Parts: sequence; C-alpha cells; structure tokens
Amino acid sequence: MKNPTPDQIRALDDRAFAIRRLCLEFITNAGWGHVGGSFSEAELLACLYGGIMNVEPKQADDPRRDRFILSKAHASPALYAALALRGFFPVERLQTYCRLDGLDGHTQRGQCPGIEYSGGSLGTGLSYANGVALGFRLGDNFASRVYCLIGDGECNEGQIWEAAMSAAHYRLDNLIAIVDANKVMAKGKVSELMAVAPLADKFAAFGWTPIEVDGHDVREICAAFHRAKFLEMDGRPVVVIAHTVKGRGVPEAEFNYHWHTHAPSPPQAEAFLRALNQTYGRNETFSRPLSAPSDGGLEAVVTADLGWGMIPSVDAAYSVGHTPGGSVGNSL
Amino acid sequence: MKLTYSKKPLREVFGETLVELGGLHSRLLVLDADLNTSSRTILFKERFPDRFIQCGIAEANLFGIAAGLAAQGYVTFPSTFAAFAARKALDQVYVNIAYPCLDVKIAGSYCGMTATECGPSHNCAEDLAVMRALPHVKVLDPGDNRELRSMMHVMMATPGPVYFRVSKVNAPELFPDGHEFAFGRGHLLRQGRDIALIGTGFMTAVALGAAELLDREGISAAVAHMPSLKPIDEDLLGRLARDTGALVTIENHRIYGGLGGAVAEVTAREYPVHVDAMGLGDTVFEAAPLQDLLRHYQLTPRALAARARALVERKRKGVAAGSRRRVARTVITATTAALPRTP
Repeated sequence: MKNPTPDQIRALDDRAFAIRRLCLEFITNAGWGHVGGSFSEAELLACLYGGIMNVEPKQADDPRRDRFILSKAHASPALYAALALRGFFPVERLQTYCRLDGLDGHTQRGQCPGIEYSGGSLGTGLSYANGVALGFRLGDNFASRVYCLIGDGECNEGQIWEAAMSAAHYRLDNLIAIVDANKVMAKGKVSELMAVAPLADKFAAFGWTPIEVDGHDVREICAAFHRAKFLEMDGRPVVVIAHTVKGRGVPEAEFNYHWHTHAPSPPQAEAFLRALNQTYGRNETFSRPLSAPSDGGLEAVVTADLGWGMIPSVDAAYSVGHTPGGSVGNSL
Repeated sequence: MKLTYSKKPLREVFGETLVELGGLHSRLLVLDADLNTSSRTILFKERFPDRFIQCGIAEANLFGIAAGLAAQGYVTFPSTFAAFAARKALDQVYVNIAYPCLDVKIAGSYCGMTATECGPSHNCAEDLAVMRALPHVKVLDPGDNRELRSMMHVMMATPGPVYFRVSKVNAPELFPDGHEFAFGRGHLLRQGRDIALIGTGFMTAVALGAAELLDREGISAAVAHMPSLKPIDEDLLGRLARDTGALVTIENHRIYGGLGGAVAEVTAREYPVHVDAMGLGDTVFEAAPLQDLLRHYQLTPRALAARARALVERKRKGVAAGSRRRVARTVITATTAALPRTP
C-alpha cells in the first residue's frame, strides 16, 4: 500500500477507531489497562495489521510470516484489539483481558494467536527482534520481516541502544523498528523526565535509516512502511519515528500521563467515547454494557473462608472500591 | 580412594562439547559477550563461524538476542560469566527466556569463587540461588568432565531453559566412561551409616576427601553428588536422611539458596534431620588463587570432616533441634571471616 486509495484510507481509519473503542470497552471492564499508549499506537497497528504486514490468521504459525514484537508491552490492549479485528481470535475474547486464563496485562508469547513475544520489562524487545531477524537470515528466510514497536520513553533504557548497535552491526535490514513517540511516559513528559530527542539523529548515528512521520496519518504511515521495504537490502535497519499523541482522540487524555495506566469508570468511558465520536466525526456506541469490576482482595478471601462474607464476582458491577469520580482500577 | 585430576579444565570440555554438538545439530547457535577465549566458546567460533554470534559487551542484548533466535527454532547457548548472567542480566533472563520457556542453555562460566583473582565483582556466589528461583529453569553444576559433556548432550535433547555452571577448574574424575547425566538424578559415590556428605560441582571432591578422613577415625560417611540442583533427587535425599540422620552439604556458592538450601527444603518437608550447609557465609569471595580461597573459606576436606564430626556427635548425644542454634552460629562465623582488607 504505497498510496492507499481513499477507500483504503477510510478502512484504516475505521480500524483505528475500532481499536480505540474496543480498548476503552475492555479496559473499563477489566478495571486496569493503558489507555494513553494504546490510543497513540492505534493508527500504527491499524496499518500494520491492515495490509502492511504479511500475516494471515489462518496460518498464524507460517514460518514465513512477518513478526510483530510489541516491546512497549503495556500497550497490549491496542494489539489485542488489532489482532481480534484481523481475525486472529474472536472479539469476545477481549473481555478476558486481565482475567485468570485470559489475555495478560502485558503480552505473553503463545497465549493467543499472533502474540510473538513475552514483554513487560521495557527495553528488551528490540534485542529480541535482533534475534528474530538474525534467525530469519540464518534460516534463509528472506521473505519475513520483523517489526518492533518501542516507546520514546522506552528509549531511556540503555538496552535499546545496545540493540540499535547490534542491529546496525549485523546489517539487519529485515528489522524495522517503530518508535511510538507520544512524548509522555508514565509520570510526566519525556522531555522533562529524561529527554531522548533528537531520536532520528541518534538512530542515524547508530547506523540506522530514520523516517519521521505523523503517527496518526495512515497515508503517511503506509508511505513510510513502503519506503522501509524499498530501502531493504541496503544493509541499514530502518526506524520509523512516528510522532503521536498519547491518549489521542480524547482531549482530556491527550498528553496526560494520568491516563498512562488508568482504567476509566463506566461513566468516564461513556464520556471518552463521546469525545472520540466528536474527534473523528462518528456516532458509535459500545457493543456491550460496561461494568467496573471489584476486587475484594485479601479481606474478601479471608472473610469468605471464615464464613463472614463472600467473594464478589469480578464480572459483576459492584461499587466496592470506587474512589469518588475515579476508577476502581489500579493506577501504577 | 585417591582421585585422578583431569589435565583438562571443565571449560575446555565445554568448548569441545559445543563443537561436538554443533556437528550433530545444525540449529545450535553459540552467542558470546566478548569472553570467548575465557569461556572457550572460541573453539565453536573457529569451527562454526557462521553459527557463532558476537553480541559485544552487552549482556542484556546477549540474552535478548538468544531468546529471539530460540523463538525461531534455534537452540541457543549464550555464554558469559555467571556474575553477568545471574546478576547483570537477570531481568532479561527472566522475561525473555524463563517466562516464555524458550530453548536457551545458559552457560555461567567463572562461577562461584572460580573467577579467583578477579575478586568479588566477578566471583559469583549467588547464581544457583538466583537461577533456582526462576520459573522453568533447570539448574546444574557438573562434577567432572564426563558429566559436563553428558549434561550438554542431555540438555540438547530436552526443550526449555537450562542454567549450567562452567569453570576453569581441573576437576577430579568422579565417573567412569559412559557416565550418563539425568535431570533430577543424584549419585551415591560412597556408602556410609553415620552421616552423609553432599556435594555439587567440583566440591564433591572435597566431600570425598572428608569421607576418607572420617573413615580413618571410624566415622562412616556416605558421599552423594548432586549435579542437578533443580530438579533435585528427592528420593536419594530422603534415603540419605533416613539412613544416616545427618547431612552436611558443601558448595562453591553462598550458603543461601544453593545446594544447602535445596537439600534443606526437601528434608524439612520429607524427612527432617540435622542439615548443615558449608559454603560461603554472608560475605564475598575475595581475590586470590583458588587454593587460598578454598583454605580461607574453610572449604577443605579437613574443615568439612570437622563439621561432620561435630554433627555426628550431636546426633549421638541426641541433642534436640532447639539447642542446635549455638553450634551452628559458631561454625557460620568461622566461614564468614573475611580476608583482611588493605585500604
């Protein structure tokens, strides 16, 4: 998709909107999740799973498929949504997010089709992607590429630069890194807490070819990935630096680190969907009722065993643990 | 019984066996973080340059790359010093290897006190404890050259992560040709009634020596070798506990969480008896030649025999477990004495 047609652009934007809506729905119902980082990468994932990557749900184990490594694995909701929308598993399964035997808060390799990497400790994904890319080469697999999505805050991690060094050293031009440069980390702005700019210059100095794009413009994203493919075989790994907005689409959440790890309450989620509808000129609704779960915690378990209480079902709408105007979710 | 010490250090056997396995398995890859002449992975590098991946002085990256390759169906042997695998890159070993249970065989060289003159930054008296605590990871410390070679063949045939120790030590020949290693299997090297001495790695040689000394004074000591710390041979431990009623462990490791810890975990649950652990106390392995370290930290046959003798005495007197504390404290103080430091 070098130059997507207007229809294709509309389809990709629809997909990005659906990713955000689904994330909002199952993060709210789980009472935990990363809204900001999921919203900033929505268009990137919509494009990757909407035509850029060579992946096929029916052949999820095909060795010649492309691999996607979500190094910023806390933003797993958008990936789960993208995989479900692409048909890797039923959309219903998204409701198991953060439940026992369900989809992990951070990705777990092999837990469901399409998840290639166990993550959660920032900085580790790009090294892993190096290994995958080297493995392709050693196995004479010249068809596959590995795409690795990292955060701009994640570039604080020294290991990112170890991996940047080795990717250039081994001339891994089958590796495409993507920086979701949403400018905000868990507790504040990247520029204030630990600046990483200028990222393009840094990667270039390490021997990479940087391409900078507006990470919410699917046309630019497609063109960048097309160029990344075109640049292959020149020996330099490519990094697509996608300038994005953390929490993009909901003005209250945009560039707001409060929404790094935070689940909205059902009323907040309704308000967020209204904001999304307004931003993107739509009129969509949630496909299921929202209910914030409750966790009775240690007290519930102990008192239940002694016959003094009961363990609340996390799937029912309880009001236990609500903070006024806030959510019941844990905030990291 | 006098043991013959191999002229070939364990690490040389490690390098040679990698070459041997490399010839048998085309999907075996060796990864290095700028230590290949020390670890002897250079032997593999010279024979199979295309399957040797240099990762530079970057251990986090080393284990990440090893994991990514393993995810593509390769069996990877990333190798660095035990200190850097267990301490510096622990998070990567956990998140990228142990948690997804990938086929990565981690060789920790210069383990325990065997970084010798490098001193406390490179000696690593905690790798067994750290690796044993990780999910899915099997933890091994070979006793001699044949066992190391057999161990590597067995791990090649067994999917999943393994941590195994390698050192530059010339180990005694504990086992005859044809010795076969198995996960979770220990070996009774010497029968005995009064006490059992349990060793792992090359320290089993010290246990055999101590048993010889004890024999001279009429104490019958069994000697067991535990190359597999996780899983550990619970049956053998239960039998030794039942038959002797007193166990002393000895290891090239701190007394916390290694062999002594593993043995105590099993016996406390299955067959509670006196267990005493010898190893490094709450201190570090200083810089010195190996023989000086062994003597300084009282990891010698004579020191082990003394500990065993004391334990046998207490067992004979039927000293209750509650009164044990004073004895134990005295002994631990002796092992924890640090070398005098010069400013």
